[in-house]
Amino acid sequence: MSTVEAPLYPIAVLIDELKNDDIQLRLNSIRRLSTIARALGEDRTRSELIPFLSENNDDDDEVLLAMAEELGVFVPYVGGVEHAHVLLTPLETLCTVEETCVRDKAVESLCKIGSQMRENDLIERFTPLVKRLAAGEWFTARVSACGLFHIAYPSAPETLKTELRSIYGQLCQDDMPMVRRSAASNLWKFAGTVESAHLKADIMQMFEDLTQDDQDTVRLLAVEGCAALGKLLEPQDCAARILPVIVNFSQDKSWRVRYMVANQLYELCEALGPEPIRTDLLPAYVRLLRDNEAEVRIAAAGKVTKFCQILSPELAIQHILPCVKELSLDSSQHVRAALASVVMGMAPVLGKDATIEQLLPIFLSLLKDEFPDVRLNIISKLDQVNQVIGIDLLSQSLLPAIVELAEDRHWRVRLAIIEYIPLLANQLGVGFFDDKLGGLCMQWLQDKVYSIRDAAAKNLKHLAEEFGPDWAMQHIIPQVLEIANDSHYLHRMTLLRAISLLGPVMGSEITCSKLLPVVVNASKDRVPNIKFNVAKVLQSLISVVDQSVVEKTIRPCLVELSEDPDVDVRYFAVQGLQSIDQVTMSS
Amino acid sequence: MLKQILSKLPRKSSKSADNREHGGHHNAYYSNVSGGGSRSSDFGTGKSGNLSVSSFAVSNSTADVGWKSADLKQNGNHMLSSYEAMPAFKDVPTSERQNLFVKKLNLCCMIFDFTDPTKNLKEKEIKRQTLLELVEYVTSANGKFSDVVLQEIVKMVSANLFRSFNPQPRENKVIEGVDLEEEEPSMDPAWPHLQIVYEFLLRFIASPETDAKLAKRYVDQPFILKLLDLFDSEDPREREYLKTILHRIYGKFMVHRPFIRKAINNIFFRFIFETEKHNGIAELLEILGSIINGFALPLKEEHKVFLVRALIPLHKPKCLAMYHQQLSYCITQFVEKDCKLADTVIRGLLKYWPITNSSKEVMFLNELEEVLEATQPPEFQRCMMPLFRQIARCMNSLHFQVAERALFLWNNDHIENLIIQNRKVILPIIFPALEKNARNHWNQAVHSLTLNVRKIFNDLDPELFKECLLKFQEDESKEDEAEAKRENTWKRLEELAEKKAFHSEATVGTSESMANGSSG
Repeated sequence: MSTVEAPLYPIAVLIDELKNDDIQLRLNSIRRLSTIARALGEDRTRSELIPFLSENNDDDDEVLLAMAEELGVFVPYVGGVEHAHVLLTPLETLCTVEETCVRDKAVESLCKIGSQMRENDLIERFTPLVKRLAAGEWFTARVSACGLFHIAYPSAPETLKTELRSIYGQLCQDDMPMVRRSAASNLWKFAGTVESAHLKADIMQMFEDLTQDDQDTVRLLAVEGCAALGKLLEPQDCAARILPVIVNFSQDKSWRVRYMVANQLYELCEALGPEPIRTDLLPAYVRLLRDNEAEVRIAAAGKVTKFCQILSPELAIQHILPCVKELSLDSSQHVRAALASVVMGMAPVLGKDATIEQLLPIFLSLLKDEFPDVRLNIISKLDQVNQVIGIDLLSQSLLPAIVELAEDRHWRVRLAIIEYIPLLANQLGVGFFDDKLGGLCMQWLQDKVYSIRDAAAKNLKHLAEEFGPDWAMQHIIPQVLEIANDSHYLHRMTLLRAISLLGPVMGSEITCSKLLPVVVNASKDRVPNIKFNVAKVLQSLISVVDQSVVEKTIRPCLVELSEDPDVDVRYFAVQGLQSIDQVTMSS
Repeated sequence: MLKQILSKLPRKSSKSADNREHGGHHNAYYSNVSGGGSRSSDFGTGKSGNLSVSSFAVSNSTADVGWKSADLKQNGNHMLSSYEAMPAFKDVPTSERQNLFVKKLNLCCMIFDFTDPTKNLKEKEIKRQTLLELVEYVTSANGKFSDVVLQEIVKMVSANLFRSFNPQPRENKVIEGVDLEEEEPSMDPAWPHLQIVYEFLLRFIASPETDAKLAKRYVDQPFILKLLDLFDSEDPREREYLKTILHRIYGKFMVHRPFIRKAINNIFFRFIFETEKHNGIAELLEILGSIINGFALPLKEEHKVFLVRALIPLHKPKCLAMYHQQLSYCITQFVEKDCKLADTVIRGLLKYWPITNSSKEVMFLNELEEVLEATQPPEFQRCMMPLFRQIARCMNSLHFQVAERALFLWNNDHIENLIIQNRKVILPIIFPALEKNARNHWNQAVHSLTLNVRKIFNDLDPELFKECLLKFQEDESKEDEAEAKRENTWKRLEELAEKKAFHSEATVGTSESMANGSSG
């Protein structure tokens, strides 16, 4: 500015900015905290900036959230790991505010910093902070404390470890359900750092208490972590301590609990040996597959393949397959959809005979399901299907399903099937494709929804890549170019889109002889939108064709467009001309 | 209630013996009827003849009763065996009535599946009738309810009411996702039974024969917690009953009062800080409104903490509209009881003031007016600066309802007086907002309201007005300069930071400074 540079006091700048009435300005300054810190230097950052921030905690939650996040990466600015502990004070305050997002972020930042701190600092600075929060008067502090134990614990000496475990135990029995919920959802993290003997005694006791809590919400979170906890235990301990709880929960009155079990069961299996799976978990799982509540069946059905993979084929055929049959006829479409998305994975587990005999009928009935998502989920796993039963058996059932989905009234369904067309083409081969699906691919180009037309154009590109330019020249290009005479300008736009995508795949020669003339012709369209899209397509074709063609055909066309009465057409034409110049200059 | 007295016609079914073990001992009364015959056709099975509506007592020892196993899906393996009505109370000697009452309570512990309306029609009707008899009995009871009776009552109520709500069907969420706002509340299909059970519980709690000292052993903390869980019901009829019942419990069971308040707090905390989803906040606040109304003066510290920690943060969730009326009532109750709380409340509102949600902002302004109405000058002065910065922002809102609502504050005599007394502080804060509106607010009403307010100040204190105008013009001319200065300051800070970084690296050591030098 004009005035002579006045001396600059970084802290004063910050203080001033944080006083501003406009929250966006305050937010901007907090986002630039690191600039201030670097301008101050490490010493003054520690002695001036951090103490100021520790006291400036009365701002909007939005600003506090940004501060909590910035402080998490502040270690380099305070002078590295040996000084990291100065950051604990402002973050400790942020751990106690009301807003959940701010607290969570502060805990996250504390964990980041704590995991870099030196052992001694952890014992002398970090652990006392955890203890203070755990003894906090308001629940917010205690909720935050639960997420910090796993950082403090590993480096603590024996007596301190005992104390930390006992404090966590108290948090599990806190008066406020908010705190117990936090303790429940963080238990597995803490458990991962605790020695095996204490794990079996103290932690498992906490787990059992939490699973018997008065409040449903607490029990639910305890179940959620049980698989992670189970993996920390020896299989026999897991079978003795966790299994009974889960089997019990799988029959809980609340569907939410059963739902959670259905989600966790498979993970838990990984922590158990085969015997308890057969005797306890399998029956529990079968019950969940037949649960009254559709949500539970959805969760269970989604795990059916994973579960079969850890069972012997005999058990899978004997116990799971009958349920799968029932689920394929379930009254809830969402259950059938969940099943359809995984059921084909069972084929390799069951082996060819059982697959053809038992799984195939299920598969075919799902492929004819009245609910489009179900069919779609099957088709999306087509490669797996093909491996097991071969395409011949499949194609006669497949085609009607595809045709129907291609015309579904929900455009998202149509979109999904278009996206699977390249996969289908790959699996089914050229012959099948030409006969049955070629027409559909053209039809989509004239869909009334933009996303479908766009996806259809992309699809043509993928097909051209899959089957090669010769095939495309014969089966795609002529039909596509016909659209140039369509009376609807949106269809003509789609043609331009398709050309810009196909050009690079088809190569210079075909582009020049077949595609470019159509584009040049379109530059005389009466609709300005077409004309500026012509300019865009020409720009994209510069790199495809030879320099001579650019000069002879593309440039004159763009020059003409650059004098168009429409401002947008002129804009894109000029853009195109500029990129020609750039290419010429660089070459 | 059952008018027909019917002939005794015990029947025997072909069901297996292990069914009997389940149901046999409940089944002291039978004697049946083909009176239900007209309905039995709904069943369409040969078994329907076994169902009986009875009004005749037979001695306990009879084992030879009609059996029916119903395919209840409830928790897998409940067998519905021999579900038969019992005689009316008036048809048994007075001495027998209490026993009969307990037995009827037991009968009503059976839960039916209402998701299939064609299932167990007969049994459902029997239970409905029995529940109605229970309501009548409780209402007309004389003589305190005994320990055993209390226990059985709570058992029956718990068995019926305490259930986990079904998830919302996914169809509602996914396909019809667009008009979630106009969504019909989902009605519990089991309501024909639930309603009577609620009615029964209400009459029981309200009955002078229910002695709180005895009953508190069964109407205990876990019972209350479960009752509170039900407030999340989607069915407004259910929440209405719960509200009345919980209120009665609060009134009658003095020992439970602190616990109930604490438990409600916990629901609020979870709602505010974790889920933002709960159907019964309005009902809970309605109860609290009447509780707060009864608080003695001076207010206890505990209650003030409740105001600050729970009620004020309740302004945060986005679904505030669902319970704002009740919340606003609670808040104003506090301020009316103790006007010293006004600035705490106002600062709280400012903390949670909506940034992008205009309809919520209008609610805040409505509430603000009610609070200000009860605010005295000392508290007003304590918070007027941040308050009027916010009001100035509202006046400039592009949403005309927000701007209009903010300007309406001047229509309130009490508030206008407070403003006028403190105009030296307030006018400089809101002047730029007034000026901007007067120049170019798009809405005609906002425009003319602004001119009115401006006129009030100008007529009252022309000198101050002129001063503010000059200051505003000066600031305005410097606006660009201030912006440029800010940018320059940050640029210089950035340069300073670079320089420092370079120096410190230079001192650290050559290899490191070489490595970082290029990036710095």
